[in-house]
Amino acid sequence: MIGNDIVDLQLANTQSDWQRRGWVQKIFTIREQQYILASEKIELLIWKFWSMKEAAYKAHQRRFNLPSRYNPQSFRCTPKGEVYVDNYSYKTVTETQNEYVYTIAMGSDIDYRSSVYDKPMNIRSKLKETIIRKLNVDASLICLTKDSNGIPIVNINQTTMQLPISITHHGKYSAFVVSV
Amino acid sequence: MTKEELLSKLKTIITPYVQNEEGLNTLTENTDFIKDLEINSANLVDVVLDVEDEFDIEIDNESMEKMLTIKASIAVIEDKLASK
Repeated sequence: MIGNDIVDLQLANTQSDWQRRGWVQKIFTIREQQYILASEKIELLIWKFWSMKEAAYKAHQRRFNLPSRYNPQSFRCTPKGEVYVDNYSYKTVTETQNEYVYTIAMGSDIDYRSSVYDKPMNIRSKLKETIIRKLNVDASLICLTKDSNGIPIVNINQTTMQLPISITHHGKYSAFVVSV
Repeated sequence: MTKEELLSKLKTIITPYVQNEEGLNTLTENTDFIKDLEINSANLVDVVLDVEDEFDIEIDNESMEKMLTIKASIAVIEDKLASK
């Protein structure tokens, strides 16, 4: 399973006041707080850990079909990019740019395609194009839809494919990842 | 505090974080903060901190996990107020 999460840094810093009393303590474990405080780029590490938690949360929820929860502290990040939850671990890859932080989380090493866009666009049609190219199937047979939990799924010729996908939006950025 | 008063206070707390105003107009107990109101997930912690300040209660991680809907949040607040 796979999950992704993008943070528009400019928007994040207007939407959230991470210096607010209790904010960091509610989201991050003691260990994570230690890494954050010791960091030269505190703000950047906060959003990096946050996107790691969100991406791993999505992968984990999808893998086990879990109901929604707001439990950021249950997803424990390491500086090397692992995220642990219960007895499971996720590997994450984070791309840090001046204006955004983007993380992909996966349960095991898998091949994937991912794209980030910085303009409003139909991300679903971009994802569809990628699937068409990769699987070499006719566009008319592919349908992107959502399951009862609101999680995006791929139907090919009216059969649900086990093709893990994840979509994320924040501010002016959007991104998809598909495991192929 | 009546349930109506509690709901009204909660509505005031969440309003600044709501990105889908329409969801606010059709607010019910089943309204979901993320799906219906499009509150950014990083702002849910602000909702929790505002609730703590407004009701002078402490919300532990176990309770915070549930605070994704109006109904669940009201249940958490009532529970914490009762054990004060």
